[in-house]
Amino acid sequence: MKVTVLQENLARGLGIVSKAVSPRSTLPVLANVLLASDEGRLRLSATNLELGITCWIPARIEEEGSTTVPARTFSDLVNTLPGDQVSLKLDLPTQTLNVRCGTSTNDIKCIDAQEFPPLPVPDLEGAVQINSGDFREMIHQVAFAASTDEARPVLMGVLIQVEKDKMTMAAADGFRLSVRKAVLATPVPAPVSAIVPAQALKELARVAGDGDEPIYMVLPKGRGQVIFRVKDVELVSQLIDGTFPDFQQIIPRSYKSRTLVSTASLLKACKQAEIFAREGSNVARLNIKSAQGDLQPSEVEISAISEETGKNETIVEATVDGGGLLIAFNVKFLREALEVIRTPNVALETSAPNAPGVIRPVGDENFLHVIMPMHLG
Amino acid sequence: MPTRALYNGAMPRTILHLDLDAFFCAVEETQNPSLRGKPFAVGGKPNERGVVASCSYAARKMGVRSAMPMSRALRLCPGLIIVPGRHRLYSEVSQKVMDILHSQSGLVEQISIDEAFLDITNIREDPERFARGLQARIRDELHLPCSIGVASNKLVAKIATEVGKAAALKRIKEQGLAEPPNAVTVVPSGEEAAFLAPLPVEMLWGVGPKTAQRLSELGVHTIGDLAKWQEGDLVRLFGENGRDLSRHARGIDNRPIVTERETKSVSQETTFAVDVVNERTLEKTLRGQAAEVARQLRREHLAGRTIKLKIRWPDFTTLTRQTTLPSPTDLEDEIAATALRLMRQVRKPHQPVRLIGVGVSGLGPPVRQLGLWEKDNEKLRRVQAAVDALQEKYGSDVIHRGEELP
Repeated sequence: MKVTVLQENLARGLGIVSKAVSPRSTLPVLANVLLASDEGRLRLSATNLELGITCWIPARIEEEGSTTVPARTFSDLVNTLPGDQVSLKLDLPTQTLNVRCGTSTNDIKCIDAQEFPPLPVPDLEGAVQINSGDFREMIHQVAFAASTDEARPVLMGVLIQVEKDKMTMAAADGFRLSVRKAVLATPVPAPVSAIVPAQALKELARVAGDGDEPIYMVLPKGRGQVIFRVKDVELVSQLIDGTFPDFQQIIPRSYKSRTLVSTASLLKACKQAEIFAREGSNVARLNIKSAQGDLQPSEVEISAISEETGKNETIVEATVDGGGLLIAFNVKFLREALEVIRTPNVALETSAPNAPGVIRPVGDENFLHVIMPMHLG
Repeated sequence: MPTRALYNGAMPRTILHLDLDAFFCAVEETQNPSLRGKPFAVGGKPNERGVVASCSYAARKMGVRSAMPMSRALRLCPGLIIVPGRHRLYSEVSQKVMDILHSQSGLVEQISIDEAFLDITNIREDPERFARGLQARIRDELHLPCSIGVASNKLVAKIATEVGKAAALKRIKEQGLAEPPNAVTVVPSGEEAAFLAPLPVEMLWGVGPKTAQRLSELGVHTIGDLAKWQEGDLVRLFGENGRDLSRHARGIDNRPIVTERETKSVSQETTFAVDVVNERTLEKTLRGQAAEVARQLRREHLAGRTIKLKIRWPDFTTLTRQTTLPSPTDLEDEIAATALRLMRQVRKPHQPVRLIGVGVSGLGPPVRQLGLWEKDNEKLRRVQAAVDALQEKYGSDVIHRGEELP
């Protein structure tokens, strides 16, 4: 193999695939990045067997070929090279990659590309197609609610359901649930339902970049995998096996009290409360005060107390429809939900101190977030 | 960090010690006025080896005392009414008393469910009038009697309460009555040593039966006798403790009021008579310890996030391993499961164990995150509440886990 690439492109490509490198695997080749000439471009791939990322960068191919190069050594080296042409030349018998740029020349010991696990090639025919900006926002609004507890693998994933032109993403960690819907430009012929690891989706949101190109999603039959393609990047992830709990059933259908507040004010109050709450059990108390009369302004008092550091109390103006209520939430959950809401106002629907609270952006029917309260003993 | 009142030992202080008279019984009387004036005791049943937790003044007149086996109490006082304890209620009422104390002074140190110290140095009112006012307020608002001692330090204030109580009870007995002492005793600054001098030396903190016997051999019977000894001689005889003995005997005690809850952790440990290899025995022991720790937490209305396992091998090397849970717990099963997991991480199969223990720290109020789906924990919690209620009412032997049976 003999190819020439721009340092800038190579560095960007390595940055994209590096998250899938598995430096401490029992399989040494997983600590490497696959380099392969591929129809006039250079293909970079990395995988940890759960997640695989491939990226194609422009290259001048003088001699076809492939090898796998240790990711850490190669990335560190490329990042220090000048912004110039980099020539990569493989000595096949010794599997040594000569990396030459400017006055610098380096020989890196590689592992034969034959040992690298093959990554699936997607058939984009019949792929689910969605605008990349929308998809990134969906991931941003949902994936954070997934669990990190390995004891419940299903909850470490995000449920993606597509039916006709409607797509739904949902994640829950047992204490909160995030649900986001979107409409697709092109309807799908057959319904899709899969649980994708939240980590893989977060990675996808990162590598998809800021552009507005479509993201294609393919679920090859019977493989237990999902493949995403955006621009010159492909990401493949194992699906999580199992049944996602029926989330529709836990979304409250009614409420006793609906509190309308400015998203920014409530978020700020939560951030302040969290400074004190984080020392203890993360509890913030919300004292929702009922209005004196119809359409009269009211308020929510957010407070947190710590035996060690002190206490905090913030009053946020609100329009309260229904009765007053004292309810406690894990303030981190509240803050994380408010942080992904884009609308200027938000509604908090509550019924009782031990019943789930629902957060909805005002004027956006596509998102909702359910948080279970904390019991104050 | 507990907050301590700044005190450099130079400025005279005024410390008030408050002790609720026959507290559990007094609470029971507020709930059931027909008990008033009758001989009754709060505690376990005699056939369950129950003991007297608290007894009414009518029962005391017959010779019944706290910590006495209930069977003996019944022999002394055949008409004794036995009232099962309701500890949750007592802690609630205790909290109300403490709230009153906190409304008077920011420097309150609760030392038990029915006792507290207050630093009232900054209160200008005459100490005796203040004490009487406080006593009246607790009687009026909560219908509870209490005795109070006031002095320039904690040691003398607490002894003043005891002395006042004893004197009042003697007087009441002579009148043929049975009622709470309601005593208020003030020891003016400068008169501490004189006040203590005639009292038996056992009334001092740090004088247990052993020290008392040694002192008696030296001809020391009263605190006044002890005060005559040189500090250096007492240090020679009793080590470091001798310094405290000497100072306390002269009515000197510079310990500040410690205002925060001192419970930082709750733990249990067991040293085995013979090193244990059997995994099931270890499991059973840990489970029992977890149950006790959990019970103690619930009794104090606390929950903790950090579970700690302590294990000692036959060669005396001791390991501790801890883990932090996502939210605080006061549940036996959660503590036991975590401790067992920690044990399996450190112990190789068949490795003998000399000591094992479990503790919970990172304590705070028992707040818990409710789950979207898991009703399991709620169910467990309801079972636990029922078990707690049964055990509180009928003693801890009334209900057991199946696996604890022989």
